[in-house]
Amino acid sequence: MENKDTDLIVKNLRKSFGKNKVLNGINFELKEGERVVILGPSGSGKSTFLRCINWMEVPTSGEIYLDGVLITEKNIRKMRRNLGMVFQHFNLISNMTVMENLTLAPLKLKLMKRDEAEKRAMELLKHIGLPGKANAYPASLSGGQKQRVAIIRAMMLNPEVLLFDEPTSALDPESIEDVLSLIRELADRGMTIMIVTHEMSFAKEIATRIVFIDKGRIIEEGTPEEFFSHPKTPRVQEFLKKIL
Amino acid sequence: MNNFFEKIAELFSTPAYIESLLHGFLLTIQISYFAILIGILLGTIIALIDVAKPSKWLVIPKFICSVYTTIIRGTPMALQLFIMFFVIFAFKGFPSIITAIIAFGLNSAAYTAEVIRGGILSVDSGQTEAGLALGLSQRTIFFKIVAPQAIKNIIPALGNEIITVIKETAIVSMVGMYDLNMAAKDIGSGQNMASYIVPMFVAALFYLATIYIITFIVKRIEKSLRKSDLRAEA
Repeated sequence: MENKDTDLIVKNLRKSFGKNKVLNGINFELKEGERVVILGPSGSGKSTFLRCINWMEVPTSGEIYLDGVLITEKNIRKMRRNLGMVFQHFNLISNMTVMENLTLAPLKLKLMKRDEAEKRAMELLKHIGLPGKANAYPASLSGGQKQRVAIIRAMMLNPEVLLFDEPTSALDPESIEDVLSLIRELADRGMTIMIVTHEMSFAKEIATRIVFIDKGRIIEEGTPEEFFSHPKTPRVQEFLKKIL
Repeated sequence: MNNFFEKIAELFSTPAYIESLLHGFLLTIQISYFAILIGILLGTIIALIDVAKPSKWLVIPKFICSVYTTIIRGTPMALQLFIMFFVIFAFKGFPSIITAIIAFGLNSAAYTAEVIRGGILSVDSGQTEAGLALGLSQRTIFFKIVAPQAIKNIIPALGNEIITVIKETAIVSMVGMYDLNMAAKDIGSGQNMASYIVPMFVAALFYLATIYIITFIVKRIEKSLRKSDLRAEA
């Protein structure tokens, strides 16, 4: 509890899929209120890194601490409540209505009473302009609507950190803006965020820090200004030349 | 053609024939019903063992299940029935209906297990990940998310399996049991009507009607399960 100002510490994180070493010793710290954007070429391990944090992929070795507590197989379920995740393909539960998607976890984890959970869900739905969709099934929503519902579903548990795994990669340009402005709003309210994205201008705008991963290692990190204007390593210089 | 209608009249006006047909039909239904029940129960267990995460406790059960389905699916049903009748339950006085139910039940379980396994595996892994990321237990994820979605995929194929079992039970006539198929043969034989065409035609109608009803019920269930799909609203 001493270092309350540090949300997350990752020490020497490694992950292999069979013989394929995807993460080769990642050390990383995330402080409360930070917004870290993870960049890197495809196959660099950036999504795997994000997914290891809440054990969507179980790390092969290394340690992850949340508020000073080591994440283990025993406590992972409880830790996940504080590590909200938003997926590329939304992953709304297709056999449940929007309202059921939002209230499932708070009710099952006995964190809220039903009327309380539904009231909170309705507030959030109104906030994203979809109060009329409460009883709709995910199949009847557009991609952008699904992703915004997925974001407020993660917010229902009041997580300490929100992890975004390419949240706009499966969306059309118009929906992308809707989703980005919702993320922007969470950022403005001080939410601690980690995000893997290919939206460079959004990364530049929203990040307090950029982390560049290549071949399973963090090879450069810094403020967006430093990263985009004065990249230190040749690898990042090459990467930026290609995309900008 | 006149002869055909005369034979129909003869069949339906002879209480003994009607009784034989109904008797045979009842046996067909009894064997099918209990075999399907065993098939679904045992098939579900096999499927769950099969899709469960590998662990040291499951190594042997998983192996047994895989050997079981391989043997059942790799040998003819008629041979399995013979083995049950003439080898495993060959002792005198053992009720043949029980033997038949076990034979068909064990057979159906292997196919049903594949149907259920396929249904569970066809649920998008993102659905499970969503549950995990929200901190839900494996149990909640299975019963609230995976199972309801799997059932939608399972029902049509399971309906198929039920139909297959009903029709396949006709081979119990090979071990001398008096099912619907056997009744048709018996009524058509020389001592009775001395013509097979009408009793076999009527037996076919019995099978058809039964399967039609089951198809209807399965379609109804499918439809009611589709309420979360867009297709149902269109």
